[in-house]
Amino acid sequence: MADKHMSTQFDTELAGISNRVLEMGGLVESQVAQAMYALSNFSGETATQVLQHEERVNQMEVEIDRDLSAIIARRQPTARDLRLLIAISKTIANLERVGDEAARIARTVQRLINTGVSSRLRLPVADLAFGADLATAQLRKALDAFARLDTAQAVQVLKGDDQIDQEFDGLLRKLITYMMEDPRTISSSIDLVFVAKAIERVGDHAKNLSEAVIYIVKGADVRHTAMADVEDAIR
Amino acid sequence: MSTLTQLDAARMRKHVGRKRVNAIALTLSLGAMAFGLFWLAWILFETVRLGLGGMALSVFTQSTPPPQELTGGLANAIVGSGIMVALATAIGTPVGVMAGVYLAEYGQKTWLGRITQFINDILLSAPSIVIGLFVYAVIVARFKSFSGWAGVFALSLIVIPVVIRTTENMLVLIPNSLREAAYALGTPKWKVIWSVTLKAARAGVVTGVLLALARIAGETAPLLFTALSNQFFSADLGEPMASLPVTIFKFAMSPYENWRQLAWTGVFIITLAVLALNILARVLFRNKH
Amino acid sequence: MDMKVETPVGERIKIAARDLNFYYGSFHALKHVNLDIPDRKVTAFIGPSGCGKSTLLRVFNRMYELYPEQRAEGRLTLDGNDILDRKLDVTLVRAKIGMVFQKPTPFPMSIYDNIAFGVRLFETLPRVEMDERVEWALKKAALWTEVKDKLGQSGASLSGGQQQRLCIARGIAIKPEVLLLDEPCSALDPISTGKIEELIHELKTDYTVVIVTHNMQQAARVSDYTAYMYLGDLIEFGPTSELFMKPKKKDTEDYITGRFG
Repeated sequence: MADKHMSTQFDTELAGISNRVLEMGGLVESQVAQAMYALSNFSGETATQVLQHEERVNQMEVEIDRDLSAIIARRQPTARDLRLLIAISKTIANLERVGDEAARIARTVQRLINTGVSSRLRLPVADLAFGADLATAQLRKALDAFARLDTAQAVQVLKGDDQIDQEFDGLLRKLITYMMEDPRTISSSIDLVFVAKAIERVGDHAKNLSEAVIYIVKGADVRHTAMADVEDAIR
Repeated sequence: MSTLTQLDAARMRKHVGRKRVNAIALTLSLGAMAFGLFWLAWILFETVRLGLGGMALSVFTQSTPPPQELTGGLANAIVGSGIMVALATAIGTPVGVMAGVYLAEYGQKTWLGRITQFINDILLSAPSIVIGLFVYAVIVARFKSFSGWAGVFALSLIVIPVVIRTTENMLVLIPNSLREAAYALGTPKWKVIWSVTLKAARAGVVTGVLLALARIAGETAPLLFTALSNQFFSADLGEPMASLPVTIFKFAMSPYENWRQLAWTGVFIITLAVLALNILARVLFRNKH
Repeated sequence: MDMKVETPVGERIKIAARDLNFYYGSFHALKHVNLDIPDRKVTAFIGPSGCGKSTLLRVFNRMYELYPEQRAEGRLTLDGNDILDRKLDVTLVRAKIGMVFQKPTPFPMSIYDNIAFGVRLFETLPRVEMDERVEWALKKAALWTEVKDKLGQSGASLSGGQQQRLCIARGIAIKPEVLLLDEPCSALDPISTGKIEELIHELKTDYTVVIVTHNMQQAARVSDYTAYMYLGDLIEFGPTSELFMKPKKKDTEDYITGRFG
């Protein structure tokens, strides 16, 4: 990741834990993608798979956290290394919650299927899928920024969060319209609102990840900071 | 696996060879030591055998007798030695310690320090008879009389180089960290030397003085031409003064039996005194380290 | 030559170094050091071997004057008064700036006399007051309870950690304003080290403390400000928490993260 320590063992440990984080990121990314596929195609099978993999996500969070604590205890890291480890701790919490959101979406699919809803009702699932694509793109960009410790890319993700929020607002309006048009769709529409919320949260977690990247590289904590100030901080 | 056993075999061969060499060397050095100890033991044995027989109260109370008398002792020689040795030490110690302090604390890298060390080394190994003759020329011939003072002076010229050397060595052994700690408190240099460095080296310096004392107790040559000798009891340093070594010298080669006996007794007394001083020096030294 | 002065923000300055240079013979050991040491705080000097941190410390109390081939140039002030002025008696400087060394060095005298030694250099106190001063110094050094019944025993009879605390008590007894600690815990076991670190924390309410240590974690634990030095240059100086979390210079970061050293 960065230039080498005198202790190659320490280098190995840091590289190892960073790779595990990326692995976990890849897993939750595919979880979200799978969950959205299940929703778009009302596939109960895919939804079940997502719920099964959810356990693995939680397990990874616990394992990585444990390894993290061990490194901090043994290596007494400072400066950049310490910031990296602190950021990783926050990042895996965020990733685990992304996994939770994917599981929530999968459970919603299962509920929709069980209550007999199908594509008979013209639910705006396609719009949801579009929003989800945006969110997963943000997530992928953020993970990429973490892998390369690229603050410019991280800032891009921060800027892109507005679009996701707008998408969510749009979806909400659409679903309200549906509910008003056809009261039979109220129950499932509300379910879809929760899905939309989950997608919006995935975008938020991507944002948190990017803030962590900026913290690692620049040592600046840009949480709850306006965009203009963020760009100053990373200069 | 074969390389391991090859290694083991090679090690074994070397080991056996080394053990053999070790045994030979040990035997040789033990033999040498035994050889030296043998002669030493014999000397001591003879000293005790020949000297103890003559020990009596009279040795300490009566002065040297004329030849072939049955009475008599070594009182004048013992007292004379005692006075001259004590005075020589009393004069030589302060001079030696101060010079040693100079060499160790002030003159470490100066040309004066180096010259002083050099001259001191020469004096240290100067034959004592040379010192005796020097004092003879400078004092005895000048004042046209042998005297106890001349003897004292000659002996102190032997004490001084020894005390200088031991004091300097002991002071140099004191680690600089101790001095620095004293300086860091704001201690002036003289006080660092007096209250800290010298104090820390105290035992070693005192040992050096005791060793010098033990040495001059047995020196004959410097006294031969300076204090001469005196067959009567005299504590007057302005006159020739008897001393144990010179008396032994005179008596040992005489044809008179009583004199020869007294000579051996004198040897015995000196040996005991030197032994006691050495033990004292060791006991003092061991306590501090 | 960079005339920028490394100074702690918002602190009263106790010792100020300006363009300080130091030479061992012809070897240029300290190069144009500009530094302000804050009052009543603990400042740590860190850096790899040979970086000049001990050298810099020993300039503060003019210890180099013991060795003719060492010399210092530049300006060094204590509360604004020039310390390096040759006309200023060095014992007066050392009365205000005390030092504790790496190796505990009790004097060859009783514990009581060890403490009283420094006091007697500068003050004549009646017995009762001297007793009080000795007790005060030993209490300050967290040693009183352990030695109060054996003040007459030789200083050398104490354990290593106790001896070092004795040396600290000895230094405090003369009521200096600054305490210089040159790797005070290097020769000690972890428990003694811990006690002394606790002690340093208490000492800073009354004294300005400057500590040289090759143990970075100790510097991080104990100090308020840290200065990082390398090959005679002062590379970075700042509040300890900042320096160890977000150092300004890459050299500093490389050293404290163990990328070199």
